Amino acid sequence: MRNSLKISVAISMFFLASCVDKMTEEEIAQIGITSCRKPASFIKQIELDPTISAFSTSEVRMKGVVLIQFQKIAGDTTNKKIYQDSSWKQFGNMGSLTTDDNGNIYTAPLPVVNNLDFPISELNKIYKIDNLTGKLELFFSLPKPDTTVEIVPYAVLGVYFDCHGKKLYIASVSGSTRDEEKGVIYVIDINTKKIIDQLKGYDAAGVFVGGTTGEKRLYFGSTRKPNVYSVALTKDGKFKNTEIKTELTLDQLGSRGSDKARRIRYDKFGNLIIYGVEFNYSLAAQTNRLETGYQFNYDETEKKWKFFKTLQ
Amino acid sequence: MKSVFTSIIFLVFISCNSSNTDSKLKAKNTDKQNAIDAILIEDSSVSQMPLMVERIKKIKTVLAEKKPIILLDSLDESAATAQQIAIADIKFCENLFDKKTQQPFRNEVFNAYAARPQEVPSNFQNEKIYKVEMYNYALNLTTTALVNVNNKSIVAVTSFPISQPDIPSHLKKIALQIAINNPQVTKALGYKPEEKEALMANTKTALNNTKCERSLHLCVAPTFIKDNKALWVIVDLTDYKVVGIRWTNVGTTEAPENRISERKLKFEKIMECYCKKISHLEKYNWKLNYVITTSDGMRISEVAYNDKVVVNNAKIVDWHVGYSNTDGFGYSDAVGCPEFSQAAVVAVSDPKVSDIIEGGKTIGFALEQSFSSEQWPLPCNYNYLQRFEFYNDGKFRTAAASLGRGCGNNGTYRPVFRIAFTGNKNKFSEWNNNTWKTWDREQWKLQNSTTTYTSEGYQYKISNEINEGFFIEPSRGQFNDKSRGDNAYVFVTKQHIDKDEGEKDLVTIGPCCNTDYKQGPEKFIEPSPESIVNTDIVVWYVPQMKNDDTKGHEYCWAESYLENGVYKTKVYPCMGGPMFIPIKNN
Repeated sequence: MRNSLKISVAISMFFLASCVDKMTEEEIAQIGITSCRKPASFIKQIELDPTISAFSTSEVRMKGVVLIQFQKIAGDTTNKKIYQDSSWKQFGNMGSLTTDDNGNIYTAPLPVVNNLDFPISELNKIYKIDNLTGKLELFFSLPKPDTTVEIVPYAVLGVYFDCHGKKLYIASVSGSTRDEEKGVIYVIDINTKKIIDQLKGYDAAGVFVGGTTGEKRLYFGSTRKPNVYSVALTKDGKFKNTEIKTELTLDQLGSRGSDKARRIRYDKFGNLIIYGVEFNYSLAAQTNRLETGYQFNYDETEKKWKFFKTLQ
Repeated sequence: MKSVFTSIIFLVFISCNSSNTDSKLKAKNTDKQNAIDAILIEDSSVSQMPLMVERIKKIKTVLAEKKPIILLDSLDESAATAQQIAIADIKFCENLFDKKTQQPFRNEVFNAYAARPQEVPSNFQNEKIYKVEMYNYALNLTTTALVNVNNKSIVAVTSFPISQPDIPSHLKKIALQIAINNPQVTKALGYKPEEKEALMANTKTALNNTKCERSLHLCVAPTFIKDNKALWVIVDLTDYKVVGIRWTNVGTTEAPENRISERKLKFEKIMECYCKKISHLEKYNWKLNYVITTSDGMRISEVAYNDKVVVNNAKIVDWHVGYSNTDGFGYSDAVGCPEFSQAAVVAVSDPKVSDIIEGGKTIGFALEQSFSSEQWPLPCNYNYLQRFEFYNDGKFRTAAASLGRGCGNNGTYRPVFRIAFTGNKNKFSEWNNNTWKTWDREQWKLQNSTTTYTSEGYQYKISNEINEGFFIEPSRGQFNDKSRGDNAYVFVTKQHIDKDEGEKDLVTIGPCCNTDYKQGPEKFIEPSPESIVNTDIVVWYVPQMKNDDTKGHEYCWAESYLENGVYKTKVYPCMGGPMFIPIKNN
């Protein structure tokens, strides 16, 4: 009797889980292509046009986050307007950016040349620009590294908000050393501000959620090797398992031949666009930041991403 | 006494295999061991080879021509026609000269061939289309032209920055000759190899697309197989020299996991040999250990003269670079290991030991380490030299130089030296009013025009209870190193056993642009200076070197210039740092 109850409970839970995780083919195919992101409400209040404005953390000689309004003609960078709220620079240099479905912007500290702005132990944090107030504030503190000995001078290298599961994915290399890959990819529920899942043991930079291969997967660019890996996700954005798949490599591609994937996105056709940079876990900065775009197309027959071309 | 920065000879490349601790590793035929066994080569004597003499002569002849392009010969009629049409095209030739100086670049046609079907535009499928590929060595730029040989017209011209075409056979021959005539290659193989033994030198690399990513030069890698290993010889065809050699294990798969590139060769060698292990050096009367740190440059330690330890350790914790015309603009650079470090400017070569010669006599030796930004000498990139000099008479110098180029001509470089002396009964004294005045408490002082020195040029001394120790002689340009003087801040702090004030690797200690004494060490003095009498003492020394780009007076500067059609770098170092002279007690 007790056994049969257990079995029926287990069956019920299985169906419940299956139901919760059920996604249609069309739904999966749109993951990473259909965007939910909205421009922040405060942009209109500062009299900038949100349709031609973009946030940046890499403006020369400007710390933190800036909002740039470009000219309406694509590629015209003359007379661009740059706006920076005083709170956007108070925490120092920032790195990867992502926007959620309400227009909130998430970013994280990124040391440039040195760790003067943030001690290494204080790097593992996420900051948020509120879509209404336009103020940058601490959003979430990730676990501090358990040692300060020989650890890399970086922490969060990638942030990405998935419009499908409404989760924030964060790639952090905090606490990693040359001999030990201790990076973690966190899944954060932005409403509850809680870590709902994590994948340990992977140093990564670019993170992205896509579904054009027929599966909802998190793609992440390793910072140890010039490879992009993936892991399956559930409908609500948790890791389905810990089976890591090697999707593609940038090895020997481009002018440097060993780029690490800093940013991963789909183009409008569902091809993977990988933005690669040199990364050696040092703070060596380059005047002319050399970044190459690589396009990979999915071969349905072989079920593989295949290199198509570099983007000029 | 003169130091002899400019009279370095007998350069010694240190092998990190000399230590006994390597014997276990050596037994294991691992990739790590291959990295350790790699040899980085910074000079080469290939220029006198007949093939090279001929090549240089040809380059010089072509550079004097109206169109400085080395053309392919022995082409068939169609390919020759395509080459002629291409080099007559304005767009194809738009990068033959430096646009500022109008000096010629070294340009060479690498290939002219019937275009492959996928290279021919759809509306030219029925035409006789040839492709001509030209390489610009100075700009590391490939320009291609699609030529319609039927009607002798250009179909398309495209330029590809930072890319190289496949090399022609005559360059393959040059690469092989450079490789097989290199003494390090002969030594590594145990015999002088033949050309035919090298594999696949006509690809950009030996087995795959390896790069010279740092120099952005055209490199090929002739590879020699011996037993179950492959010796990669990276040959730079822009400068005609061997960059370095490294063994790899020959795997069973077609594409070996470990492809060797310039960066991999250098970084792994430096990491394994000098960052992960402490090296030991014994020379003349001196013994010391050294290591490249993650953020404090090269650190020497346990420095002994005549078997007596005199310095616990010495290093440079930061380089502060401030620019005077922009308030607060500059950089605070840590220097150190090329990977997994807090270094902004990284080690890219082996440490080097050289004799110091004066009047034909060896009077000591120097230990040097260079650190460089990847794109140096482009603006806003940096190159630093750390140099320790050890003399036979017991004196030593901790020195450092900036080799430019930085972000402007109004920069001031402030390296922050930290020197921890041995002994726990030390005191620090300053020459003042013709007498030595002891500093009772931690403090700092600036060397300036009113500073007084002993007749020998000493400003300070550090001594123990029996007056053993060193006089400190700041640079006022007397060390024959073209220095314009240190204008240095000196800080003296107490060495604590129970708390770390820089004994371990220090992350960036101070901001870029303070022009006053706030260079970082003051953090260990203020707000309550401690007693520094009869105790362990640390001396911090911060020279200030202002750069100069005035023609003929360059200082802390670097310039690119064209030689034989490719860019070379001329450097104007500014050297700073004090001499420590042993106190002789009668």
